[in-house]
This record gives sequence, C-alpha cells and structure tokens, in this order.
Amino acid sequence: MKHMVEIRNLTKTYFTKRALNNINLNIEEGKVVGILGPNGSGKTTLIKILTGLLRQSKGEVLIDGHKVGTYTKSIVSYLPDRNFLYTWMTVKDAFMFYKDFYRDFDEGKFKELLDFMQLEMDMKIRTLSKGMHEKLNLALVLSRNAKLYVLDEPIAGVDPVARDQILDAIINNYNEKSSMLITTHLVRDMENIFDDVVFLKNGEIVLEGNAEVLREEKGKRIDEIYKEIFVV
Amino acid sequence: MGKLIKYEIRGNYKFIAGVLALVLILTTGMYAYMTNTKGGSPFEAMFVFLSFLVIFGTLLATFLYIVNSFRKELYEDRGYLTFTLPLTGNQILGAKLIVALIWFTTLGIVIALYHLIMLYIFTPYDISLSQIFETLMDIGLPFRDIIASIIFTFVNGTITLILIYFSMAISRVTFRNKKIGGLWFLIFLVLNALIAFSQVKVAQLLPYYLDISSFRIGRIDMFSYGFHIDVDSYGVMMTGNFGNILFNIASFIYSIGIGVLTFLGTGYLIEHKIDL
Amino acid sequence: MDFNDNLPIYIQIMNLLKSQIAAGEISGGDKLPSVREFSKELKVNPNTIQRAYQELEREELVFTQRGMGTFVTEDVEMIKRLRKDMATSIVKNFIEEMNKLGFKPKEIIEIISERIGEEIE
Repeated sequence: MKHMVEIRNLTKTYFTKRALNNINLNIEEGKVVGILGPNGSGKTTLIKILTGLLRQSKGEVLIDGHKVGTYTKSIVSYLPDRNFLYTWMTVKDAFMFYKDFYRDFDEGKFKELLDFMQLEMDMKIRTLSKGMHEKLNLALVLSRNAKLYVLDEPIAGVDPVARDQILDAIINNYNEKSSMLITTHLVRDMENIFDDVVFLKNGEIVLEGNAEVLREEKGKRIDEIYKEIFVV
Repeated sequence: MGKLIKYEIRGNYKFIAGVLALVLILTTGMYAYMTNTKGGSPFEAMFVFLSFLVIFGTLLATFLYIVNSFRKELYEDRGYLTFTLPLTGNQILGAKLIVALIWFTTLGIVIALYHLIMLYIFTPYDISLSQIFETLMDIGLPFRDIIASIIFTFVNGTITLILIYFSMAISRVTFRNKKIGGLWFLIFLVLNALIAFSQVKVAQLLPYYLDISSFRIGRIDMFSYGFHIDVDSYGVMMTGNFGNILFNIASFIYSIGIGVLTFLGTGYLIEHKIDL
Repeated sequence: MDFNDNLPIYIQIMNLLKSQIAAGEISGGDKLPSVREFSKELKVNPNTIQRAYQELEREELVFTQRGMGTFVTEDVEMIKRLRKDMATSIVKNFIEEMNKLGFKPKEIIEIISERIGEEIE
C-alpha cells in the first residue's frame, strides 16, 4: 500500500529541550490515523513540521514523496488548533480565499458543509463563538480534496452538539485516496474513527498500531490504553 | 502572489481609508480657517508647519501599521494561514511589499492632489488649472530633479522597508520569544548603519556621479561647482550648489543590490527558517 | 450506539447485526445499509464497517452483490442456525454464572420452569 507520509528519524530540539525524539512513522493512503497524547507530548510539533510551520532538527519527512514545501502545502489541508483566519474576514471572504489559493477546493462541498454546520456566508469571523469557529475552519479544511488532512485537536473545547457535527463531517469526508492525521487527547470521543493510533509521550512513540488489533490484544478500549499509558 | 495582494488590500483598506479621510478633513479645515481669518493671524504662519505635521503623522501612522502587519504574520495566529499557503517566501514577501508601496503611493498622490485642489478652491483669484500649470512651467520648475527625487525616495523607501522586514525575520528566527520581539528595531538600526557606511565607502571608491540636470556623468572634481551639501542616508544623492542633484552611480547600484539581496534573504528566512 | 465492550468494534458491530437478524428485525434478503451510511450512523470509521461486513460474509450470514450492496442471506437454515447458536451461547453463559453461584443443574431447571410459568400467566 502506498505511503502518503513517511517520517524517518525525526528529531526536533528547541535549544536544549527535545520536543520530538527519533520518530519513525508511515501513514498509508486511505487511513485515518490518531496521534494521541496529552499536551506537551509533541503532537503539535509533529503536525507543524508536516505543514511547514516548523523545521526538523534531524531526520526526513516526505509527503506524497515530496519534501515539505510549496508542493506539499498545496496537497495538505491543515486545521490548526487556533483561529488562523484573518480577523477582518466574513465567512464568505474566507471561502473566496480558500477557493483562490487552493485548486483542490470544492465549492459545492463547502456549501453543503456550511449548511450542515448551520453557518451563514455573511457571518463575521470576529463574532463567531469557539464552536462556530471550529466548525467553519473544519468546513474550509474538509472542502479541499486534499491528499492529506491534518487536523489538530478538532473537537477540543466545543459543545457536544458541535462535536457530533464535527465527527460526522470528518466521517463523511473519508475517502480511500487520501489520508487523515488527527491529534487529540479526547480519545473516548474519537477513537472509533481511527484506523491506526500512535501514542506519543515526551516526544517519543511509545505504542502504535491498528486500533482494532490493539483492542483485541489488550482487551481494552483505546481510551483505557491511553489512561494506562499516561496516568501515573 | 496577485491573489495575496488582493487579500492584503482587502484586509487593510479600511485603515488607509480612515487615515486618508482624517487627513483630508484636517487639510480642508486648515485651508478654510486660513482663508477666513484676516492676514497676520499667527495660525497662518503656522500653516506650513501644521500641514507638514499632518502629512508626517499620516505617513508615520501608515508606516507603523504596515510594519506591524508584517510583524503580525510572524508572531500571531494569522501566520498559520499565510505560511501554509502554497506560496514561496518571496511571493509572500513580495505581496506584503507591493501592498505597502501601493498604500504609500496612494497616500502621497492623493494628499498632493488634494493640496492642489485646496489651493485652487481657496485662492481668492479666479484662475483656471491650466493657468496654474502655465505659471508653473514659466517659473521653470526643475521637473527633472523633482521626478528624480521622487524616484530615489521611492527606491530608498522600498529598500528601508525590505531592511525592516529582514530585521524582523532575523529577529524571529534567532529568538523564538515574543517578548524580545522589539529587538528587530535594534537589528534594523545596526544593519542600516552598516549599509550606509559601506555605501559611502563605495561612493568614495568609485566617485562617478550622474548630474540629473545635465545628464552628465563624471567625477566630483569634474563638475565646476562645489559640494558641501547633504549626503542622504544612503550616500547616494547629493545636492549641488545650484540646486542640481547628483547621484553616485556605483553607490546607487550597490544599494539596489543590497535591496535585492535582503529581499531574497527575507524570502528564504520566512520559507525555510522560521519556526512558528 | 456506544461501543462499551472491550472487544474490537467490528466484532461489536457484527454482534449488533447478528442479534437484529436473529430477532427478525432484519429479514433474509434485506439490504444492509451501505458502508458509508452505516459508518455515519454509528460514527465509526468506514473501514471498520467494511471489516464487519467482510467477516459476516465469511460466516455466510450476508452476501455482496457487486454494485448493489450487501444483503442478508436468504438461506433460512443459516438464520435458524444463527438463532440457535446465539441462544446456545446465552444459555451457556447463564449456566456458567449459575454454577459459579453454586446452583445444581436440577435447581437451575426448577428456577427456570418457575420463572417461565410466571411469564406465561
């Protein structure tokens, strides 16, 4: 099976602190992969390297066979864990922006998602609530027919209704030709949508594998395994 | 890049429009006040000073706004959008720079034109615009010198802006800490001093000048008039005794080279080095 | 649906479908929801649904018609056997639990007869 992402011996250090230590990971085409770990485990650092916001200190990252750069940026659809849209925009501006910059943006899909998320074109970004922000951002990100989706904590801090809408949107968007990388510490809410899971602790992979195989081997749900690994 | 320019303009046109509106109101007010007061008012004497102050304030406010808009990309959440676009560092930088130049040019032209219009409206004599231009032509304004000055101000302004962007990028790459973000200014001052110094050196090494008024090229001692006058911050431009302007050719080329290099350097830094 | 058992999710989905088939909620020949629909409904990765369907197909409880979807078997004997298997496994568990509590087979039969007698009334 084709590898959408190949990560070899990836290390990231800030001065003396090691944020990622010798990570090796392949992500296959058509897979939804959960990167699990508490805050400070290196999840966001890993994601930022994949999206070109951070540079690795050592090692190699290939996405669709290319080093991170303008090409990979054009095929990676990234949902940051913050409000990254320009504050002067309306929903419509953000939509036009995505349409202008990303060739893989699907206008029809966006309008459907907007409807599904109960958002309006004339809403101002500045006035959106946390949940609405998250839904709009996700609608934009999922409306691209990208090869790799990178979602950083997509359901953190949103209410249960918004959370369900977001999960639905993610599942609906699944397709065999692209891969998804999702970080979360809300494992119970998301574990059912992962093919594979990767447990990240202090910048290292401590456990990884197919979610179903892990459930079978350990006789536990993924969130129970998570608690076992991270709770002292 | 064109698309990013479009969204940059859409993002800050309101600020620029606001500044412009304020300037125009102030300018109108000053002209109106001046014509309505009898001669000898102390205000009238201050008129030139005040207009200068307004223009200077406008340019400063715009300048700070534009500089800050680049800083925001490096330090605030919007960078997550800008720097994950499928654009090169040079394209992002180019868009920022072009929009900055568009705004300065717009402000410059609008303010200048507005002053002309105000003069036309508020002068007590009934004269037409064409008459004004004829008069101006008759006086024999040194148009060539004026145009040359505008071009050189433009070039120098652009280089300064690039240098500021470069200093910010360097500061961001070196120190991840937001709190010492003001460090870029120090870096800028040092770089600026170094460049100015090296430009003077280049000018001394290759003392060939272009006289704008006569389009003659020569060494300083070949021109009959003396020099004692201002060397601008880049050591490029001199004003001769007769009001004519001389440019050091080597130094001018050198400063453009510096501009190109710092531009490419900044583009490289924001594409390959910055850790957001 | 909440997947609370400590079993792989595809097995939990298989069990869900099996009990629906055994209970007659889904009849022989009925079409199962498409992988996509079902994954939306259960909020589960489509590959997991796909796996559950594949395993059910291996057990010959469902069959796939290309381009049409997945259908419950029309083989009445298969469904009968499924019902029987499920019943057996429930009874087996029940007896094990009762044994743990120290009931003898005779006592277990008495308790059941009594209980069923009550229900019939």
